[in-house]
Amino acid sequence: MSGKAPLRIIVCLKHAVDESELRVDASGHPILQGAQARMSAFDRNAVEEGVSIKEKAGGTVTALSLGTEDVRKSIKEALAMGCDRAILVNSSKYLDALATSYYLARAVQRAAPYDLMICSEGASDTYDGLVGPMLAQWLDLPFMGYVRRTELRGDGSLQCELAMEESVEVVEARFPSVISVVSEINSPRYPTLLQIMQASKKPIEEFPLDSLAPGPGEAAAPEAAVRVLDTTAQSMSRKKILFEGSPEESASKLLEALKSEGVL
Amino acid sequence: MKLLRAEHKRLLKALYGAEGEDYGRVLEAISLLLETSVLPHSKEFDEAAGGIAPGRRALFDQGICRLAFPSAEGTSLPFGVYAMAMELVASADAPTAMSIGIHNTVAEGVFRFGNDDQRKRVFTDLVEGRRLGAFALTEPSSGSDARAMKTTAVKNGSNYTLDGSKMFITNAGDADIYLVFAASAKGHSAFIVDKSTPGLSVGKDIPKLGMRGSRTAEVRFSDCSVPAGNLVGKEGEAFEYVKFLLSGSRIVMGSICVGIALTAYRKALEYSKQRSLFNGELSELQMTREKIADMRTELSSSRLLCAYASRLKDAGVDFSSEAAQAKVAATESAVRVCDRAIQLFGGYGYTDPDVHRHWRDARLLTIGEGASEVLRMLIAGKELAETR
Repeated sequence: MSGKAPLRIIVCLKHAVDESELRVDASGHPILQGAQARMSAFDRNAVEEGVSIKEKAGGTVTALSLGTEDVRKSIKEALAMGCDRAILVNSSKYLDALATSYYLARAVQRAAPYDLMICSEGASDTYDGLVGPMLAQWLDLPFMGYVRRTELRGDGSLQCELAMEESVEVVEARFPSVISVVSEINSPRYPTLLQIMQASKKPIEEFPLDSLAPGPGEAAAPEAAVRVLDTTAQSMSRKKILFEGSPEESASKLLEALKSEGVL
Repeated sequence: MKLLRAEHKRLLKALYGAEGEDYGRVLEAISLLLETSVLPHSKEFDEAAGGIAPGRRALFDQGICRLAFPSAEGTSLPFGVYAMAMELVASADAPTAMSIGIHNTVAEGVFRFGNDDQRKRVFTDLVEGRRLGAFALTEPSSGSDARAMKTTAVKNGSNYTLDGSKMFITNAGDADIYLVFAASAKGHSAFIVDKSTPGLSVGKDIPKLGMRGSRTAEVRFSDCSVPAGNLVGKEGEAFEYVKFLLSGSRIVMGSICVGIALTAYRKALEYSKQRSLFNGELSELQMTREKIADMRTELSSSRLLCAYASRLKDAGVDFSSEAAQAKVAATESAVRVCDRAIQLFGGYGYTDPDVHRHWRDARLLTIGEGASEVLRMLIAGKELAETR
């Protein structure tokens, strides 16, 4: 695209179990039955970045997600935040990151043309952080990960600051490209109540999973390569030491204990 | 603490079917804002007696006032959704809910009884939350007997001159617009009075038992001249407006009490599971379970009465008795629920402001916006009139 043409942005989002509400049973397994789900917290940053770029540069933002009918709740939230279009890839099958990114890539190709795809650094439930880079691979596009700041260049490229572990890297790539953003990139907006009501009237396009399957002569779609066999909560043992006495006495006992533990 | 619970979503589904999901999303957004911007500060508001303005501003910016009115595009939500939103606000912080509830009563007064110019000039700012409203009806010597008001409005050419005093005015001092009721030549009349009008003065903040985050003060009018264009509706008919506005407001105040009681109930419920005694949990005792069951039942029945009165209001039929019933039931049961919460917390309930503030907050609402006694007079009067 030219530097001045309106941008066509696609934001990928996941409807994930709300980990803040998740409980575990006596054996440490999460109780998924009846657990509340909502848009993955980091994906709200991705939506915010897409909508902010659109507000600065003009264009459209399409929210894209994959899953069951329940996913509509998160898609509507993205529409309320300012996305213009929405696509739901209907699937009730278990798909891992490889298969998910494959079908999302097929959906993106169907929704083409596009300039920029935005994912988050990882989903708040599984936190694999794989769909963004895999999506770029399927589409054979440049990928910039862990983006903490974006800047549109006039020459049809995007410059990004990447939050590395101990450094900040500045990179740029021409459109079309794929980025994954970290949560420090922005503060997601709260849609107004009117925007929420208006979002409920915006249509959501549906792409059934089967309709995205490879045609004759195309390579077969990947099966789920990784299966989750078990998930248990980590248990943390606490020493539960109580220091008695005056505040001064307790403070010195605490200091001594911390020293003996090697903390100080 | 999550404010919007499965119980709210179940009720929305029961009342509104598929549309209940859309309403649930609206309430979810309000809850999220409350959980981050209001709830964490509620205890400080009580201790410092003030401080609700930033949270109120955030709720105004989100569009909470709009819920009670049709949008420019004609979208309108059931009144019960607005009432449930106010329940959630009160669950987070009762004085914030009280302040917004009163503000919206002023907005409804201008919207329903004002002329086109007033709707354009004043209502738009109120509903967008750009200006804050205060409802000035009660006087130092007349509360329940509002008809006995002594504030006067005398017509002088193209102006009315107001003289008198209004007492216990929520939002006084913070408000930009006062909806003032006064006795004029033709009866009771309502006026929009801007805070900067010469002759209007606000007294010191009145210390209160509860609802301490919102400001309450006396508002005085001395030779206060307002343009005749600020007369709301017809001169002499304002008492009818008051009756309508207070009926709607009573549903909201009932809902606020459901919210207050719900928070006190949840705190007590959690505590009963943590407190050990007699080699077990407090929650295992039969007398604790009786309290839990009674608190829960009173909460649910109060919420349903508010929902019923809201549906009647939406249907455009007389809802004054049901609104009064909802307020009597919800406010009085909230006081009982909060009292039981204190009892379950024992000594900690009596000494910890974060427990007893809910009782103190609820206690206002069996008095304000129609005392329980006056509402019982209204309910019984209607019952007797219908059976004569």
